[in-house]
Amino acid sequence: MSTLDGTPGTPSAASGREAAVGESPALMVRQTMADDAWWRCVSSWFLVVAMLAGLFAPVLANDVPLVAKVDGVWSFPAFADLVGEPPVGPHDLSWKQWWARLPVDGPDFAWMPPWPYGPDEVDPSRDRLGPCLAHPFGNDDTGRDVLARVVHGAAALVELVLPAVLLGMVVGTLLGAWAGYRRGLVEVLVQRTIELFLCFPTLLFLMFAAAFLGDGRIWLVLVMAAMFWTSFARIVRGAVLSLRERDYVLVARSLGVSEWRILTHHLLPQVKSQVGVTAAFCAAAAVVAESTLSFLGIGARESLASWGAMLRQGNQQVVLGHWHVWFFPAASIVVVVMACHVQAERLRRRASEAGV
Amino acid sequence: MRRWLLIRLLWLVVTLLGITFVTFVVLDRAPVDRADLQLERAAVQEGGEWAHSRAHSLLRLRVQYGMVDPVTLEQRPLLQRYVAWLENAVQLRFAGPEGDHGALWRRLGQALPVTMWLGTLALLLSVVGGTALGAWLGLRAGRGGDRWASVLLLFGAGIPEFLLATLLTLGLAVLWLPILPASGLRSPGAEHWTLPWQVFDFAWHLVLPVTVMAIGPLVMVARFVRDSVATVMRAPFVQNLRALGVERDVVVWRALRHGCAPVATLAGSLLPMLVGGSIVVEQMFSLDGFGHLAYRAVMEQDQPMLMALVVIGSVVTLLALIASDLLHRAVDARVRLSP
Repeated sequence: MSTLDGTPGTPSAASGREAAVGESPALMVRQTMADDAWWRCVSSWFLVVAMLAGLFAPVLANDVPLVAKVDGVWSFPAFADLVGEPPVGPHDLSWKQWWARLPVDGPDFAWMPPWPYGPDEVDPSRDRLGPCLAHPFGNDDTGRDVLARVVHGAAALVELVLPAVLLGMVVGTLLGAWAGYRRGLVEVLVQRTIELFLCFPTLLFLMFAAAFLGDGRIWLVLVMAAMFWTSFARIVRGAVLSLRERDYVLVARSLGVSEWRILTHHLLPQVKSQVGVTAAFCAAAAVVAESTLSFLGIGARESLASWGAMLRQGNQQVVLGHWHVWFFPAASIVVVVMACHVQAERLRRRASEAGV
Repeated sequence: MRRWLLIRLLWLVVTLLGITFVTFVVLDRAPVDRADLQLERAAVQEGGEWAHSRAHSLLRLRVQYGMVDPVTLEQRPLLQRYVAWLENAVQLRFAGPEGDHGALWRRLGQALPVTMWLGTLALLLSVVGGTALGAWLGLRAGRGGDRWASVLLLFGAGIPEFLLATLLTLGLAVLWLPILPASGLRSPGAEHWTLPWQVFDFAWHLVLPVTVMAIGPLVMVARFVRDSVATVMRAPFVQNLRALGVERDVVVWRALRHGCAPVATLAGSLLPMLVGGSIVVEQMFSLDGFGHLAYRAVMEQDQPMLMALVVIGSVVTLLALIASDLLHRAVDARVRLSP
């Protein structure tokens, strides 16, 4: 193949995957696009977009303006909402009322977010109104825009799911690698601890954490991470057990490379894809756990919009024929969970192709 | 063998101590304690009147629950309280120092049959159904319908239990084809019916909850068995049998025996899934089993009940893990039992 264009062995003549590794990012993207079916690419981008939407929900869908000039004073109410300060409306009005009465060519002005409805903005006039152009996802039984609530519900992905999975991943990978590399007493201890954690009634703990332990978010993340680290530790330990017998580890050890460096530079990069697969599965489990909690009515985010809580309310509405109140949050959960599973499949396929 | 069992049982006790201690500590972290909550509720029910004697009642309740030393009236340290709990628990007295043990056991006893029926049927359905489905798919791996089957399985693994429960309830009990009951375990007035009708009524009520509980584990088993059988079908010994001209039925049977053996190890880890699932399912179908007890205990911060449930749940899970190791050994002679 390489003889066709130029002398054998020149870097430009390398084909397929090798070319994608060393060369331009654009080529790399094209290569992955060609390897994977379209829905795998779509699902990964969807997850990224969903997380960004959750992170920036207050400036994407809100009933307060992004930028406002009231009596010559500039303010940024939606951004205040983003960092957690409740924005106070001008002249004893809500921002929405003030905005509606704003004269067109006055000195004051307001720039609303791209989706000008808040998650808790109640409007009885559009009570249970079905999907239409102005409200593509419809409205719930108190006249709140479902699209805005779905977008705000995605915040749980960033606030709970991501930290829990990352924490579980770091702790589990390190402990698993340590156990697999050191063997002996460390391994026995880690194995027993894993077994101990496997028997924990996790949902019970999550319920308790959500219902009672203060603000709950920190505790929820901790309990979820405690549930997840065991899967990472088991996978990584198993992989490291066989990897540590390879010759290059022996070489590194005899050259005096420190244990930490062998672990982080020689062993862990090899289990990257397996850890990724586990992370994707754990993310799906975390989404399900979070929505189950808020569905049972004990989520830490009870006051805010959350997909599970919306379903709880939608359950009553769907029987009455208002399907949209139930359908869109349900679809969001299913799509996000499926996207996580598809990512896991994709990573697994790539790992088996690479021969790890 | 006997030594292995002994070591495992020893570890079971150690693990149990660990689990109960951690649970005890976490339950203790609650900002409002049980006595506080109880007074709060009483105050809501009875109206005012409570404020002046509140501190006194609080102290009395806390002494009764063993949180405060009755002589010095000081908070007892966590470890001391845990040891006290442990002493009672060893004698199966879970209700606390002065609680009503009979009442607690009665509540557990009433909930047991519901949970047993649900759990056993769901476990059976998921293991048998999952193995059959997985084997069927595994023998057809790589053919046309394979991709669609895996998409369906992906969907089954991804959908949360409460969503599935809602969908099935809507479809088969409320809206489109209302033939199954949506809640409870008995039809009203069923106690006057003849026995066969009562049994049928009971089974009819169990269909939806058991299906919802079993789907997640079933899909897990099916995916596992599918991959395992597909791998075995490409194994040298199967190709050898084929090359020798052995009948297809015999080849498939041998391959399945090898491919399905690892299910034994999986069965142990299904139990925690079912325990978690029972909370959701019992809540959604308003059944009074252990899951419902757990939900109520969390809501009312009933520490003794929670601890009792945690102990029962962990003992069952740990025993199931041991049993599944033994089962794996029985199915596959190559497996060595390592502690």
